[in-house]
Amino acid sequence: MRFVLLLFLFFTLSATGAPVRTPQIEAELIAERDALVPGEPITVALRLAMIPGWHTYWRNPGDSGEPTRIEWRLPAGFAAGEIEWPVPQRIPVGPLMNFGYEGEVLLLTRLVPPADLVAGRPVTVRARAHWLVCEVHCIPEDVELSLTLPVASRAGPHARWGKPIAAARAQLPVPAPEGWRFDARSEDGGASLAIAPPRGVDLKEAFFLPYEQGKVEPAAPQTLAREGDGYRLALRAAAQPVGPFERASGVLVSPQGPALAIDVPIAARFADLGLVLALALAFAGGLLLNLMPCVLPVLSIKALGFAAAGEAGGSRLKEGLLYSAGVLVSFWLLAALLAALRAGGAQLGWGFQLQSPVAVALLAALFLVLALNLSGLFEFRLSVAGRPAGEFLSGVLAVVIASPCTAPFMGVALGYAVLESGWRAFLVFTALGVGMALPYAALAWFPGWRRHLPRPGAWMLRLKRWLAVPLYATVIWLAWVFAQQVGPAAPAHDASWEPYSAEKVASLAAAGRPSFVDFTAAWCVTCQVNERVVLAREDVLEDFRARGVALLRADWTRRDPEIARALAALGRSGVPAYVLYKPGRPPLVLPELLTRERLLAALDG
Amino acid sequence: MKRLAIALVLAAATTAQAATVGKPAPEFTAPDLQGQPVKLSDYKGKYVVLEWTNPECPYVRRHYNSGNMPALQKELGAKDVVWLAVNSTNQSSGEFKTPQEMAKWMSEKGAAPKATLIDKDSKVGKLYDARTTPHMYVIDPQGRLIYAGAIDDKRWASTEETKKARNHVRAALGEAMAGKPVSVAATSPYGCTVKY
Repeated sequence: MRFVLLLFLFFTLSATGAPVRTPQIEAELIAERDALVPGEPITVALRLAMIPGWHTYWRNPGDSGEPTRIEWRLPAGFAAGEIEWPVPQRIPVGPLMNFGYEGEVLLLTRLVPPADLVAGRPVTVRARAHWLVCEVHCIPEDVELSLTLPVASRAGPHARWGKPIAAARAQLPVPAPEGWRFDARSEDGGASLAIAPPRGVDLKEAFFLPYEQGKVEPAAPQTLAREGDGYRLALRAAAQPVGPFERASGVLVSPQGPALAIDVPIAARFADLGLVLALALAFAGGLLLNLMPCVLPVLSIKALGFAAAGEAGGSRLKEGLLYSAGVLVSFWLLAALLAALRAGGAQLGWGFQLQSPVAVALLAALFLVLALNLSGLFEFRLSVAGRPAGEFLSGVLAVVIASPCTAPFMGVALGYAVLESGWRAFLVFTALGVGMALPYAALAWFPGWRRHLPRPGAWMLRLKRWLAVPLYATVIWLAWVFAQQVGPAAPAHDASWEPYSAEKVASLAAAGRPSFVDFTAAWCVTCQVNERVVLAREDVLEDFRARGVALLRADWTRRDPEIARALAALGRSGVPAYVLYKPGRPPLVLPELLTRERLLAALDG
Repeated sequence: MKRLAIALVLAAATTAQAATVGKPAPEFTAPDLQGQPVKLSDYKGKYVVLEWTNPECPYVRRHYNSGNMPALQKELGAKDVVWLAVNSTNQSSGEFKTPQEMAKWMSEKGAAPKATLIDKDSKVGKLYDARTTPHMYVIDPQGRLIYAGAIDDKRWASTEETKKARNHVRAALGEAMAGKPVSVAATSPYGCTVKY
């Protein structure tokens, strides 16, 4: 019995190292358990007890100071992790701000003893700790510490330090649990962090502590404002920035919730894109829309209508203008509808009109009618209410049939338009309309251009039949989209691709794995083309596999607020979007026209 | 509306003039150890190094005791670079040094700045948003700030390690004088807090 008591005493006394005292700090290495178990991780801590008025520093010390550092001297086979920092206090020093600890702090570290450790002899781990302890005056100190622990096959909590270490671990910042959402966006002078807490959580105060110096100004107040169901926190950029401020990476503290470790990219502000650039892109996109498979067949027929008239038609300026008016008014109406719906709180982006099965069905019917018309099986005249109305309506029709297609450049320009609002968005949609109407309007306006059109003949009838084919294909495709939207959710037919979620990307990044997200929709023609021509290829899939890249598909065929938010955070409002997430780097958005070369360049860049 | 409010708050805050790399360095006047006023514009046309210093700070002492800072001051002085050491410790602070005390300390350490400025109202420090001692700024002959931040890339190190550290001030001046862009133009400064 006495022997057992002696053994017990020996265990408890051995499981410590002698504390080292400096005039301001008592420091020691402590362990959560009373023995080392081979192969099992154990939490040890550097305990710093500071006299009143003095403080040490966090991993980001703030305006000045230096974080505490532990250099381990471990026996063979042992491994030690990084310091797991408790939430620091804000310590103002005059007009400046430090992040650190007063009183007592336990800086936790996970230690892993080797699996082949032999029980019997106690083991000593050593460390050289370096810190800066300041009051008004600052003193850097270097101290040698050691911790001796017995080795056993089982260990229980340490009599003295087990509970305090467990309590410290319970209060460490955690990654945001289910129900919390964060987005960050660039603002004038800094950034703002959108916080969407789960229902029932009411934030009255919050503060963001960045992991890195030189990004956020430490002493600046961070105003918290309500925004819809959530909040927005203003982060002022450092007055003397070091490096770009591209990610909001740090700890969000609030008395009303747990300390949350967050790491979100900061989406660019569209004013930076410049209205002029957005207009240029929209105009180019509008021009290119004429070449998209949705629009080209019908537009070609209209153009060939001029060929029939030949130069004799003179300037058809009026027709051209009416058509352009049709195009512009349709774009304005769509923009207004989108703005109204978003103001009502819906998480919508471009292509929203195709997320409704009813709209898809109507479009399919429309394309069917057009195709039948071109095949000569169904006659109707576009100019139902008379020539002028007919031209106007054909402009409207052109926009309607263009909606499944997104031309290159349109994605960025539309992202700008949808997320900025008011007169800027109006101008961008106008530029898009002008670009789209221009080729036909030019043909109408300048009889000389029509000289270059081929002379009419029987070949025109044959051409019409041929051009009906892409339209039939569109009908079949729209029917398939309709089926996707109203049928039950089909199981993933492609095992290489997992369904997308923001949490999945984050957990893959935390595990060090890059991921590639394909934002797509069944009604998006460019998406389908890219998927079949590039993303489904064996060699491309092999490229991804060889680099350990996880493949995620974000299917926006039906409305999905999470996907809409993710697109908005990337500066997009529609699909397709191809995004490469590499751990530790901001997301890379690839161009809408994918090629294997571009993919490889991004993967290896 | 909220977004506008946030933007306004942030914009208003940033109108406070701070020394930012790439922009003109703010003009100031401060007395030297003999009480004579020294203006930044006195040295237009030359490279100027501003060094925030405080003899009570262990980081400053490390750089002076090892001879690191005095050697750099002499080396750059020989290249006609104007080195101004600034002590912005507020006169109400326990660490405040009078001109005589400062002169004595500088001469003991063999320091060789062009001038040492006593910024007892902390005005120049706040103008430059100096946060630590040491905190270094390099200004080009056109008056533009080309470097702001730490003296070197090793926060706390032995004398030997300091010799192997990358001295950002020496590197920035070397590049600028050779007509090259400054490769590392901004770093986070380290050291004790400036005692405002």
